[in-house]
Amino acid sequence: MALIEEQTEILSARRMAWLRFRANPVAVIGALMVISVIVMAIFAPVIARFPDHVGAVIDFRNKHHAPDATYWFGADKVGRDIFTRVIFGFRVSLLLVVGVLIVAVPVGGALGLVAGYFSGRIEALITGFTNVMLAIPPLVMALAVGNVLNPNLVTAMFAITLLWWTWHARLVYRVSKSVAAEDYIEAARLAGASHWHILTREILPNCISVISVKTTLDAAFIILFGATLSFLGLGVRPPTPDLGTMVADGRQFLPEMWWGVLFPGLAIFYATLGFNLLGDGLRDMFDVEV
Amino acid sequence: MGPGFAQFLLKRIVGFAGVLLVLALMIFVLARVVPGDPARIALGPTASAEQVDQLRSEMGLDDPLPQQFVHFVANAVQGDFGISLISGRPVAQEIAAILPATLELVLATLVIMLLVGLPLGVLAARYRNTWADTLLRIVSLLGVTMPSFLFAILLQLFAAYFLVSWPILGRLDNALSGFDGPTGLHTLDGLLTGRIDVTLSALQHLAFPAIALAMSGIGQIMRITRSAMIEHQRRDHVQTLRSFGVPGRVVTFRYLFKLSAIAPLTIMGLEFASLIGNAFVVELIFSWGGFASAGLEAILQKDLNAVMAVVLVSGCFFVVANLLIDVLIGLIDPRLRMKESR
Amino acid sequence: MALLDIRNLNLSFTSYGRTQQALRDVSLTIEEGQRVALIGETGSGKSVTSKAVLNTLPGNARVDSGQILWRGEDLLKKTTGQREALKGIEMSVVMQDPLSSFNPVFTIGRHLDDVLYWADCRAGRPTGRKDRAGRIAEILRKVQLADPARVVAAYPAELSGGMRQRVLIALALMNRPALLISDEPGTALDVTTQDEILRLINKLVIDEGLTHLMITHNLGVVRATADDVYVMNKGEIVESGPLRRLFEAPKTAYARDLVDAIPPLYGPGVKDQKVSDGAPLVELKAVTKTFRRKRLLRPDEATQAVRGVDLNIARGEIFGLAGESGSGKTTLARMVMGIMQPSEGRVFIDGRPLSDTGGRADRRLAQIVYQNPGTSLNPKRTVGQTLDVPLRFAGLDPKDRQRRTDELLERVDLPRSFVARFPHELSGGQKQRVAIARALAADPRLIVLDEPTSALDVSVQKRVIALLEELRYELGLTYLFISHDLSLMRNFCSRISVMFKGEMVEQGRPSEVFANPAHPYTRALIAAIPVVTDAEEAMKPKVTPEEKQRFLVSSAA
Repeated sequence: MALIEEQTEILSARRMAWLRFRANPVAVIGALMVISVIVMAIFAPVIARFPDHVGAVIDFRNKHHAPDATYWFGADKVGRDIFTRVIFGFRVSLLLVVGVLIVAVPVGGALGLVAGYFSGRIEALITGFTNVMLAIPPLVMALAVGNVLNPNLVTAMFAITLLWWTWHARLVYRVSKSVAAEDYIEAARLAGASHWHILTREILPNCISVISVKTTLDAAFIILFGATLSFLGLGVRPPTPDLGTMVADGRQFLPEMWWGVLFPGLAIFYATLGFNLLGDGLRDMFDVEV
Repeated sequence: MGPGFAQFLLKRIVGFAGVLLVLALMIFVLARVVPGDPARIALGPTASAEQVDQLRSEMGLDDPLPQQFVHFVANAVQGDFGISLISGRPVAQEIAAILPATLELVLATLVIMLLVGLPLGVLAARYRNTWADTLLRIVSLLGVTMPSFLFAILLQLFAAYFLVSWPILGRLDNALSGFDGPTGLHTLDGLLTGRIDVTLSALQHLAFPAIALAMSGIGQIMRITRSAMIEHQRRDHVQTLRSFGVPGRVVTFRYLFKLSAIAPLTIMGLEFASLIGNAFVVELIFSWGGFASAGLEAILQKDLNAVMAVVLVSGCFFVVANLLIDVLIGLIDPRLRMKESR
Repeated sequence: MALLDIRNLNLSFTSYGRTQQALRDVSLTIEEGQRVALIGETGSGKSVTSKAVLNTLPGNARVDSGQILWRGEDLLKKTTGQREALKGIEMSVVMQDPLSSFNPVFTIGRHLDDVLYWADCRAGRPTGRKDRAGRIAEILRKVQLADPARVVAAYPAELSGGMRQRVLIALALMNRPALLISDEPGTALDVTTQDEILRLINKLVIDEGLTHLMITHNLGVVRATADDVYVMNKGEIVESGPLRRLFEAPKTAYARDLVDAIPPLYGPGVKDQKVSDGAPLVELKAVTKTFRRKRLLRPDEATQAVRGVDLNIARGEIFGLAGESGSGKTTLARMVMGIMQPSEGRVFIDGRPLSDTGGRADRRLAQIVYQNPGTSLNPKRTVGQTLDVPLRFAGLDPKDRQRRTDELLERVDLPRSFVARFPHELSGGQKQRVAIARALAADPRLIVLDEPTSALDVSVQKRVIALLEELRYELGLTYLFISHDLSLMRNFCSRISVMFKGEMVEQGRPSEVFANPAHPYTRALIAAIPVVTDAEEAMKPKVTPEEKQRFLVSSAA
């Protein structure tokens, strides 16, 4: 036959995504920053200069020691090395991130997925509930819950998780709803596929890109959020190092002992910036709206 | 506007009323079920069992929970949130006294967010992939990634070093501290009562807290406006106008801008909840003495009636803000108005 | 001197560091007053050519060499300002998709006024708002929009597709351009509306003595609107010449295949499908479907999508269901498949009411092939995974599934290696083949074909149709074929019916229906089909304007 079907040049999806990612130096920088934070958190005991300063150590001789070759970030009001406490602070932050997301993403994702696929009552119920939860200021809720229970890392996680799933539910719902209306979903139904199959094998793969972008961006927000909570005194119990608490403590000695606020503050900024840049890069790479 | 828009608004109002009701239920359950005996907390550990029992029955705590809830909602609708367990005064009165301070801060923040975020987002899109875009994206990233308490502290430091006479605490100069106006919004009251000095002092005090609070929103709005502009730039209607020779700047600033304002407004509504949260921190740092710092106080002291009121009023803030935003979007987007009437 | 003379234009697109050539040595000449058509299939470069002339190319496009001479002067050497000045005054374009061609949050009047204002400014004669309003009303009347005041005040979403298309034409004509370019006008609209739009453009071009470049993939459209034709394929002009010569004696194989791929409406080339005498497979008795929409504070809104339809489809038949958008044909098909339940009336499968089997049709009964190849396959699943679903849920074990998948691919003429491909690695025609294979996998007796070829190029369409015919013959399938393309149905269906506003207005064998359409709507529908030869044009039923007004959803009001 003389007419051949139109030949389009084919790039595999993965290769296309990789090209987009690589073309975006900012995303690569973000990825490196995130990796560095994770590495510092994991190997904190090795990297830290004074690993014992994590605990209730008091060293008044070096109280408010200014930054120098030994105390890179200076020392706090009881003479503990701020650099040590910052990298251990990353541990707490990341623990919080993992703790929240490990529950919030699957729960929110599952609810969004189900709400988008089944229309009618289930949809109305889940979206209605999600909307109510979105109306609650998360910080107010976290404060209320955190204080009514006992302020510590686990309560903070619980309080944040209580509201955090809503964003994932909303997002996944939007994608799931539009995917569920596609012809191929009806075709799968007609082919006898079960609801379970359609939800997990047909719709979910289409949501993975938005979920991963949102999760990355979320990591940044949760670090920020956790820092705000502990800044208000509802975070981890001292002496466990926590970036927000460190800023709050250092604030009393401003502006003279500036390092007490600056370095923990920069650390928060560094971690959130890394996750944000990476998230933006992923967003460009997958070409999705989050 | 037409009947379609009224229909649309009515639907939203009903929906928001539902949101508040469920919110009330949740906070009620949290307050009644989780922490133990509110009467005991109110009276402290030294009170006798009889005293506690008496307060319990006075507070209606012996009634069945559903009845208590109905009671709570009926009272709340009338603005009665009970007595503060700590100060002993009606919670509603206490909140009414400090609400204007927060209202003023939040309104100023919203104005700054829109006035700065929208134009910068448009500019970033218009000069996409130039140094200006890069710079603006960095600014927006700063806004999104820096915690607002850090911004607040940095602004205070900035003032301490460079603007020594600039006030960084409170709402008014000490000399004006007794001032009281009809609305409680000092900037507005100053104008209403002809006291320009009050307005100026209030604006001066308002500037830094509002900027600190607005930063994260500015970043978000910029980012979303930019991507909405770029997204719409690809659409056919831009081609239509461009191919008939309507200048690019007219297409961008008039046609694309109006269309692209919808997305950031929607997001602003949703992000309003976290704005209220951040207000807690910023008010604390600037000793603002508003609703948020009082709320923080109530939470820390486990003043349950006040906590419930704080959460509900925060919810109201959210609901009213979103209703206003819906009206705004309805004004912009004719499709929304038509959808209902058809 | 020619009005427009494109000489050896080479153009390429660059994305993510990869450059692809879009135009190769394209040369095209348009004399003043000439009516030229540029035809080609998807991706042939015809729209890119017009964008290069208009200077509306996307940012990643680059002209590598060549000239675009406008009245003898090379446009490519002019400044942006100079080229900008030509837009809308010297050359205008009628855009393709009337829904997205207007900004949804501005009124139509605002669009028109701004275009006019800036055109006047560039021409150095700024005008008042009142004066412009008068001119706008006048031009809107010229494109047969009866109520200009209403159109001006309306938002884009408040007008029908046909009306928006007319406004686009008005925009293009506003300054009586020397060259009018029409880029697939009316393609997204119904056949009858598209016909009206083409007639309008034709009339205006002749009345105003415009030079016209028509860009289209539809050869029937070309016959009615052009004198000279250029044929494009993969960025190259493969043939050009006067319309009649090119249609009757194409020189190149590509042009010949393009002409031959069009199903004839009348004449000796028409194919008659054998009428089936099998027992009825599906029967519909007085079926009505009403959609209700709940509303606040007001009574529910009810729309009748299908009204009292009787229908039976015999085994082995290709039953065609024709109608325009909103006629209820898709709703009807969904009820046949059991995806939707009728509000009134009954559906029988093999003589048994569908409601007895729990309302849902057995998957062994009916499967569907959708219109849009882009959305009928899950982008995240390989061809193999897609085909595996019906087999797995039919209870086959993995080894049989593997074997059957290979078999199915072979059936639809795709290589086995395609099991590992993702949809975006397939062409439109290949995707439709996979969709057909999926439908076959469930081993159904009836396949609903919902405009399976309307999104494909004619040459691809021809081969997909051939495949469907072959499958039906070999597997003894029954088809319910939904389409608005009557010329295709004439050749492919053994029986057809026509739906209009939810009712079935005509039913019969294609040869009879086309020779003697009983219902005036059918007549109007057939008359609106663009055909390739004058002989066919002459054989189409004649419809008076009054009849048209009665049955066509007019795009003017």
